[in-house]
Amino acid sequence: MAVESQDIELFIGTIRSLSDYDFSEYSIKSFSRRLEKVLIDNKQDISGLVKKIKSSNDFLEKIVRDITVNTTELFRDPKAWHTVRYQILPKFKDYESINIYHAGCSTGQEVYSMLILLYEMDLFYKTNVFASDINIQVLEEAKKGTYKYRFNLDYLSNFDKVIKDNPYNTEDFRDVPYSKYFDINKATDTIKMKPFLTSKPVFKKQDLVKGSNVFYTKFDLILCRNVLIYFNFDLQNKIFEYFHQNLFDGGYLVLGMHESMLGPITAKFEKKGIMYRKR
Amino acid sequence: MGKYKYIIIGGSAGSFQVVTKILSALPKNFDKPVFLCLHRLKHIRSGFVEALSIKSTLPVVEPCDKEHIRPGKVYLAPANYHMYIELGNYFSLSTEEPVNHSRPAIDLSFFSAAYAYKSKLVGIILSGANRDGALGLKSVKDAGGYSIVQDPDECQVKTMTTASMQVTQVDEVLKTDQIIDFLLKLD
Repeated sequence: MAVESQDIELFIGTIRSLSDYDFSEYSIKSFSRRLEKVLIDNKQDISGLVKKIKSSNDFLEKIVRDITVNTTELFRDPKAWHTVRYQILPKFKDYESINIYHAGCSTGQEVYSMLILLYEMDLFYKTNVFASDINIQVLEEAKKGTYKYRFNLDYLSNFDKVIKDNPYNTEDFRDVPYSKYFDINKATDTIKMKPFLTSKPVFKKQDLVKGSNVFYTKFDLILCRNVLIYFNFDLQNKIFEYFHQNLFDGGYLVLGMHESMLGPITAKFEKKGIMYRKR
Repeated sequence: MGKYKYIIIGGSAGSFQVVTKILSALPKNFDKPVFLCLHRLKHIRSGFVEALSIKSTLPVVEPCDKEHIRPGKVYLAPANYHMYIELGNYFSLSTEEPVNHSRPAIDLSFFSAAYAYKSKLVGIILSGANRDGALGLKSVKDAGGYSIVQDPDECQVKTMTTASMQVTQVDEVLKTDQIIDFLLKLD
């Protein structure tokens, strides 16, 4: 079922009239693909879907969840975590306190990866960790910190690559047991983060499109990986501007492996790979 | 043949040799952007672009989201991302769930390229182990583009090419050398 541009306009208009969500500046190809998928999964055409959205706010929230992409893993892209571990976090060693913000945290795996790394680096207790997402349902999952075990074996190999191995020195191996941070239960098919991790972060609902800081503080490090790819160029730049305003001087922004700032905003940051430092 | 301005190629990890052969045969002044969407083996995620670059006469890059498409470059869909071509000649990327068990999915890149370039596009499907790409090639043909399938007799795994031929009346079935000849004549 091909989605026409009128369908997208009708959908976006309906959502906008009923809620605070605004998808009008999302990247067109991936958004139409998502809408197509939602229509197929719900066995609806666009008018049927719109009717149902109008009749139930819960359904609207569910559709918002389904239309946004929530792909994430523990220590996703170990190379990115090597950057965080060896190039960014050491700079904060002598700070009195550290503020880290996960923008678009989805179900929380990135947040727990960060907490584990902070603990390993003895930075855990002086760090404030903030995390936001557009969707309340995924935030509830993030707070729980319980994930499926099967199909997620990458979590463990990623953990090994980031926490146990040192890519710059093969002799530097740390035999950190998984049980220090999470419990694996094969019977219930779960990986469950320890309470000292789940009680630490502050999770809040936030629609990045609105560009307002819901945590009322500035940050030393912002991670926003594979979130802005769903936005068009203009909206991306607005959000880069928002990040810039909400970073402390010299603070860092980390993007996804194939994301990059383009245009005038680049002058405000110093770029090194996926790492951007506020000028 | 001057009407074709963009080339998109799909295949799986097994088509690596064919792709390098094609890339090494293109002249340095080949100005048509080439898009590659290749399935990768799960444990070999990086190093692909480097390996292709060694043999390619043209620069091979894994594009970033919203990067503009330039002539004379070969663009490889990055590991673990779907790669779309948007109206306005730039890329967008997505990490949504795999399609046809694949991320990048050949179908998604082909659909978006067919929509953007219509009759200016050549789509080529090489050796591959699943049906991903079949509907993508159909979309190229349906939009007025030119559709080519690698001769299944020459393919290590025929699934992708035969699936493509089942859903589309393809314009040509060619061996690797003939694909190269075809591309060289486009200039």
